[in-house]
Amino acid sequence: MTKPTVALLLTLLFGSAPAHAAVRVTPTAVTLDSPEASQQLLVTLDTADGTRTAKYEVANPAIAAVDASGRITPKGEGKTEVVVKHGTDTVRVSVEVTGLKSPRPVSFEQEVIPILTKASCNSGGCHGKAEGQGGLKLSVFGFDPAADFQALVTEGRGRRVFPAAPQNSLFLLKAAGRTPHGGGKKIDQDGHRYQRLLRWIQEGTQFATAKAPAVTALEVEPTQKTLALNGTQQLRVTAIYADGTRRCVTAESEYDSNAATIAGADGRGLVSAGDKPGEAAILVRYMGNVTVCRITLPRPGVKFPRPAEANFVDKHVWDKLERLGIPPSDLADDATFMRRVFLDTIGTLPTAAEASAFLADAAPNKREKLIDALLARPEYADLWALKWSDILKVDKDAVTPQGAVAMTRWVRRQIAENRPYDQFVRDIVTARGSTAADGPAAIYKSLSTPEIAARSMSQVFLGVRIECAQCHHHPSEKWAQDDYWALAGMFSGVNRKPLPGGAEAVVWTVGADLGPVPKGKAKPKKGVTPIPVNGVPAAPLGAEPKEFAPSDDRRKVLADWMTAPDNPYFATAIANRLWAHYLGRGLVEPIDDIRATNPASNEPLLAALTAHLRERKYDLRALTKTILMSRTYQLSSTAKDGNATDEQNFSHASVKPMAAEVLLDSVSQLTGAPEKFNGWPEGYRAIQVWDNRMPSYFFRIFGRPVRYSVCECERGTDPSIAQALHLMNSPEIAAKVQARSGAARKLADSDKKPAAIVDDLFLAALSRRPTDAERAKFLEAFTDGDRRAAVEDVMWAILNSKEFLYNR
Amino acid sequence: MPSFRMSRRQAIRVGTVGLLGGLSLPRLLQFQAQAAGAKGAKAKSCIFLFLEGGPSTIDMWDMKPDAAAEVRGPYKPVKTNVNGTFICEHLPNCAKIADKYTILRNHSHNDNGHTTGYHYVMTGVKADFADGTNSRKPNNVLYPSIGSVVSKELGHTDTLPPYINLPHPLTAGGPGFHGAEHAPFVIEGDPVSPDFEVRDLVPVEGIDSKRQDRRKRLLSGLDTPASSAAAPTGKAGTMATYYEKAHDLMTSAAARKAFDIKSEPAKLREAYGHTTLGQCALLSRRLVEAGCRFVGTDHSGWDTHFTCFPSLEKDLIPSVDKAFSALVTDLADRGLLDSTLVVMMGEMGRTPKVNAQAGRDHWSMTQSVLFAGGGIKPGLVIGATDKNSVAPLADPVSVEDILCTLFHQMGIDSTKIYNTPLGRPVPIVNGGRVLTDLVG
Repeated sequence: MTKPTVALLLTLLFGSAPAHAAVRVTPTAVTLDSPEASQQLLVTLDTADGTRTAKYEVANPAIAAVDASGRITPKGEGKTEVVVKHGTDTVRVSVEVTGLKSPRPVSFEQEVIPILTKASCNSGGCHGKAEGQGGLKLSVFGFDPAADFQALVTEGRGRRVFPAAPQNSLFLLKAAGRTPHGGGKKIDQDGHRYQRLLRWIQEGTQFATAKAPAVTALEVEPTQKTLALNGTQQLRVTAIYADGTRRCVTAESEYDSNAATIAGADGRGLVSAGDKPGEAAILVRYMGNVTVCRITLPRPGVKFPRPAEANFVDKHVWDKLERLGIPPSDLADDATFMRRVFLDTIGTLPTAAEASAFLADAAPNKREKLIDALLARPEYADLWALKWSDILKVDKDAVTPQGAVAMTRWVRRQIAENRPYDQFVRDIVTARGSTAADGPAAIYKSLSTPEIAARSMSQVFLGVRIECAQCHHHPSEKWAQDDYWALAGMFSGVNRKPLPGGAEAVVWTVGADLGPVPKGKAKPKKGVTPIPVNGVPAAPLGAEPKEFAPSDDRRKVLADWMTAPDNPYFATAIANRLWAHYLGRGLVEPIDDIRATNPASNEPLLAALTAHLRERKYDLRALTKTILMSRTYQLSSTAKDGNATDEQNFSHASVKPMAAEVLLDSVSQLTGAPEKFNGWPEGYRAIQVWDNRMPSYFFRIFGRPVRYSVCECERGTDPSIAQALHLMNSPEIAAKVQARSGAARKLADSDKKPAAIVDDLFLAALSRRPTDAERAKFLEAFTDGDRRAAVEDVMWAILNSKEFLYNR
Repeated sequence: MPSFRMSRRQAIRVGTVGLLGGLSLPRLLQFQAQAAGAKGAKAKSCIFLFLEGGPSTIDMWDMKPDAAAEVRGPYKPVKTNVNGTFICEHLPNCAKIADKYTILRNHSHNDNGHTTGYHYVMTGVKADFADGTNSRKPNNVLYPSIGSVVSKELGHTDTLPPYINLPHPLTAGGPGFHGAEHAPFVIEGDPVSPDFEVRDLVPVEGIDSKRQDRRKRLLSGLDTPASSAAAPTGKAGTMATYYEKAHDLMTSAAARKAFDIKSEPAKLREAYGHTTLGQCALLSRRLVEAGCRFVGTDHSGWDTHFTCFPSLEKDLIPSVDKAFSALVTDLADRGLLDSTLVVMMGEMGRTPKVNAQAGRDHWSMTQSVLFAGGGIKPGLVIGATDKNSVAPLADPVSVEDILCTLFHQMGIDSTKIYNTPLGRPVPIVNGGRVLTDLVG
């Protein structure tokens, strides 16, 4: 029953809406049809949840009981009423209890599995892990009920269930902690879960019962709620079965928060908010079905003037900030904007000349002009080729140096030519030909099996982490093992043939349907695709399988499906990735884990960016410009009263660490001492180096990824004392600062006045001029007459400042 | 001032002198904190040897010679210098000094994952992430590790950082909500390698102290609190804290001396074993001597699922044998054993039954943990497991119990409550008890 219907019904019952705050109780009629059934009532006040503040009484305690949290449980067959009092309001709920004398038999599949899941018996850390625990192996999260039934009822020499004396079944003794159990006591012997397990054994351990159809959907009430800080909300979860029946499973469901510090939920579905404003999604799980309740905690009583909108991005961001009561920061000044947009788009520091020209430019559209100019610069392609090489696993050791060069060059050209993203990805997915020729074919050396290709491409291009479905149903998504193997089958014909000269040719030979290794077979060797007994018909994620001739390159069908206008993942994934690059945080985080149960922090914005990208025919530069032109991107990173703790709503710019390569280039540029990479011609910048294995202490401590995974998270961004020591003391940095032909020496040997030198260095490093106080302080360095030392020390200090080391 | 501990009274006396000049106020406060923190402490420092992957303690410290062949494995127990205590034949050096340490055989917990188990042992809190999802980076973003708690509670003694990791960051060794100030100083480098050094500790030649001071002054002109990049939040804020720590380290001669493992006599270096674990143990002793409070060494390679016995016998167990025995002996010889608690454990033990690949799998239900020094009762075997080492016979000792005992020996009240950044109160250790059998 939907809430408006209930409200209407109440209105009818009471004649007219009461003048004071209405108390709504749902449902108004309860039927409990088994000994362990229960029904959670929800008491809704005008704005708050009254479930835990209401008083409950049952008219006939012989028929039903109700606890302080509003949960009704059966006691005896018959009818009675629960009287709900809140303040001066009284609402009566009719209760009918049936099925106690001859209860519907317990279904293992429908009723025992959820108990095992809720008690985490089948979690990945316990009996659910691949090798089981203590000899008992259950399918993780109970996704294979038949196997679990087998494990409990027939394996273990039949000791696990003992129908002759059900309460002495090892299964119950262990679960209730009456016999030593590694996991300890998991189930309360007086609770309804234990009673249900006991009854299941008493009834002869039935697997499925005729009367228990499958759960087809899960409903949570409320689906979203705005709470006050430290507020609470009782949830109600209803399972909907194939035959249309609905059963309250609030106590049986599991609850997880994606932001436990904002709001969490206990095992009874009571959501408790913390004292920090923000948003949380409560993930509700029952029998392989998942649903989400969103909790919003606004800052109380905050009003702020809505800044002008530069484009649709700002509209969605301001909407969200208004709802949460978080004011946006001011617009960043020209110098800050300039340095940020340089580092973000081209991974390169503005020179002193570029900085002073931009600061002096009086044109009202100078920011737009700068954005356009930067997106056309060659370093833009360098930076994004580096980034794509990371996530496409262009690891020299895996793809050979020739392959790494070939791929890096190809990617760089696609970016430089602004190739539409859908075509770019199609070329990668369907790559064939020489791994050493200019092209993406070498990727199939790195993604060397159909499974690795399937899960890597899924994560990179669709933002779907399908990996866990290789062995079991995805714990928080609809993906089953079949989906994983169907996708892997799309890559099944990819093979590599040796070419003269050591390279290989990627070819499509014969496609096949793949599937998991049958149970009981030894694990295959790493890198060898097992031959399944029953392959799953190949198909893109969640799509209908097609008929393929063996010679059909199935990847073409996959690429068609990925880039089709109605693909739900493809455009969203890249929009989110670009957003995360420029704003420092994805709308969905982690950026490549997009799913219903991990909602975006601003879903309308992500949808709008996605639609915009499709409208612009996958023109990444156009989408980038839209993001960069938004006021949101151009906000200051300086927090304002009320937005300092905001981390996910883009109320202020984030201070971003620089990638190791970008930082090294920045240091080289500032000091005027280019880095000489071993074995490379002079003049190459770090962001142009395709050799990810080139030994470098600098790259290691500043977190260069080894390109082991397709996750951007592989790039380390955490600071360390080692970084500080290296920047302050290392001979490598000192050599740059003191270089004979370096910037410091040139300035010292010039006839510039000290003040001009300080100004030049500030512009070169920070894209701004010093304040008067800063200039005065830095001029002190020149008092002892040694100009060279003075300039070096000024440069050293600026280089070690946090303003230089971070992109703010 | 090596092996220096102040009483409250001494601290107050020093304080008076300090007020007259000589001791700065922060320094004075530090001494006071030290005096307070050390109250009731037996151990000033802790050396924590973490055997990452899960040591096969059933083949080392808790042998089952009477069990079936697939349980007892190929090794034989041998006598030690303590009557009735038997350990593995491949631990001959440890067998000679069993009177100096205690084996706890009834440790047990139920987290069988590597990264989750590591997190549990290092923080006393069950991980809230799935095993394996956080293996690359220090993964305790919320809860502080043991070393960070020690750093927070006891602070610096001399110039060395109070909490150091060797020879790379401990996966779950991060500071959690105690923040960057209590993050480990990581000495990245293998002390067994001939060119081992702690890099970048001193400025290059030619930058004299006058110029160093000037550079620092200039830098302070930019890194002002008003500059948003230096705001105390976020990674730039963390970086600012690391700069302060780096400065402390650079200005200390004692620190540089402590790092110089090459100054140890060759004979002693050999006694510790020419292995990463051995030389990390030796370096740990030097660091503790110089005032470090908590040295965490991560020694990986113990996840022996496949064909475990050759590597256990040739590599893993001998490296432990030498490193642990030499460390305990060396500390005792220098009179440091009483004030230094040595703990050696991993995130789990290994399955009683040898698997089909001739290895042993994860078994957090039983693991033997070694303790030495720091006021614990030596020469004991505490607890026992059942005939196949499936579970402790009685009285299982939890992770919380071990942490409680460790903190107790260091004079830290493990029931002390800290508030997380959101104001949620959490004790240093959630429950647990001091193991009275162990500490008397």
